Amino acid sequence: MAVRLASLAVLLTSLALLDSSCGGDRNELILGATTSVQDTGLLDEIVRAFEGVTDYHIKPSIGGSGEVLAKARRGELDVIMTHSPADEDKFIADGEGLDKRPVMMNFFLIAGPEADPAGVRGAASMSEAFKRIAGGQSLFISRGDQSGTHLRELSIWGEADITPQGQPWYQESSTGQGQNLVVASDKDAYTLVDSSTFTVFEKRAGLRALLTDTEKPNIYSVIRVASDKHQNVNATGAIAFAEFITSPAGQCVIADFGMEEYGKSLFEPAARCPSANVGG
Amino acid sequence: MDLIWDGVTEALRLIFSGDSYVYEVTFTSLLVSGSATLIALVLGLSIASFLAFRAPPGRTLALSAFNAGMALPPVAVGLLVSIMLWRTGPLGQLHLLYSRTAIVIAQAVIATPVVAALSTAALQGLNPNLRLQVLALGASRWQAALLLFREARISLLAAAMAGFGAAISEVGATIMVGGNIKGSTRTLTSAIVLEVGQGDFETAIALSFILLGVILVLVTLFTVLQQRRPPA
Repeated sequence: MAVRLASLAVLLTSLALLDSSCGGDRNELILGATTSVQDTGLLDEIVRAFEGVTDYHIKPSIGGSGEVLAKARRGELDVIMTHSPADEDKFIADGEGLDKRPVMMNFFLIAGPEADPAGVRGAASMSEAFKRIAGGQSLFISRGDQSGTHLRELSIWGEADITPQGQPWYQESSTGQGQNLVVASDKDAYTLVDSSTFTVFEKRAGLRALLTDTEKPNIYSVIRVASDKHQNVNATGAIAFAEFITSPAGQCVIADFGMEEYGKSLFEPAARCPSANVGG
Repeated sequence: MDLIWDGVTEALRLIFSGDSYVYEVTFTSLLVSGSATLIALVLGLSIASFLAFRAPPGRTLALSAFNAGMALPPVAVGLLVSIMLWRTGPLGQLHLLYSRTAIVIAQAVIATPVVAALSTAALQGLNPNLRLQVLALGASRWQAALLLFREARISLLAAAMAGFGAAISEVGATIMVGGNIKGSTRTLTSAIVLEVGQGDFETAIALSFILLGVILVLVTLFTVLQQRRPPA
């Protein structure tokens, strides 16, 4: 029985091995992307479209922008898509990445309860709205995870000249974009969220979009990890991905995404998608 | 509460409509956790036989380690296996990270101490004279081991079920080393996490019921096997 058991183990393991090692080393491309790209469902679409036109197999590594950049600095990723401009610029200045190109954008907005006890709706700016939330001691849920959204939130607190950490009305959920919105909704709290994730969760979360930051769009960029610094990086694969996602074909995947289900693009492509309908 | 009933009906719909996505993630879960359990059984039974029959010096210390290992935090296992498999890690050249094999490794690391600790207890529970008697009657070490395994089979199958349960219900390490890739490393548990992240609670609950159903069917089979009278 032990022999049979052992041979079965070997068989099954080799099966599992067989499946995963297909394609070989040079065809695997590790893409670092942020939770909003996964939580909206866009990631699966991008992977499918890219694998349809190339021989590469994408292996996604998902985390907040902070986590993605940290892994990229270790040479564990080939190409990244993040939305944390200041950290990205530092990443490139340090020689860790190159060839930053805008891919798509959305907007940050403050979501909160319909009743809006702090009066965010009438605020003239994001920092003004944050001042009202702090002044009214209204519950605010922060991502708290060094993601692009979290860093933007911190910069708005900075503009408002408020230190929210440690305040009883300020809680850090340390979850992904979608989950964070669910937590805020459950607690009838305010939170900062990107417009794409908000659209996906609008039906389920009981929160309203109270104030949108139209002045500073949230820009997602593709950056190749420097292959001269990290020898294992798949440079040709990274170039293929960066070219694809900024090409008309890649931009149209982004423009079309969400049209069917929500009647609008969830993310606005950085360049125009030639075949999209007017305003696409 | 409505959500739970909707989840049950959605689960039934997904199963009977032959939804290919659900079958695919279920297959991945079974393949990966089945492999991990078999590896854990081979390693765990070997360790248990060694500890129980040979009674090596430092056995109590080793047993304490395996008993503690039953409470290994999966997230720590996931992190350690990730670092080992990172491109810059010692096993980086194997390119195993974000593959099914990586999940098998992580789950085997989690399940092995469970099988080892429970099996050692099972084998230690046997009458120590039994082994001596069998050996005296001319059985080889292998034959003696097999006979003792059969003698302790009720407890050993319980150990196998505990190991399988630890493997298939695991999610933290699975996502960390597997990457939750659609069509490859997306298991039932990581699919549930993804659906929750995407706010699709109905599908998440449906998948949870499917996972529970799969575990129930398999454990029932194991239990029938366990409760069967031994062949004469």
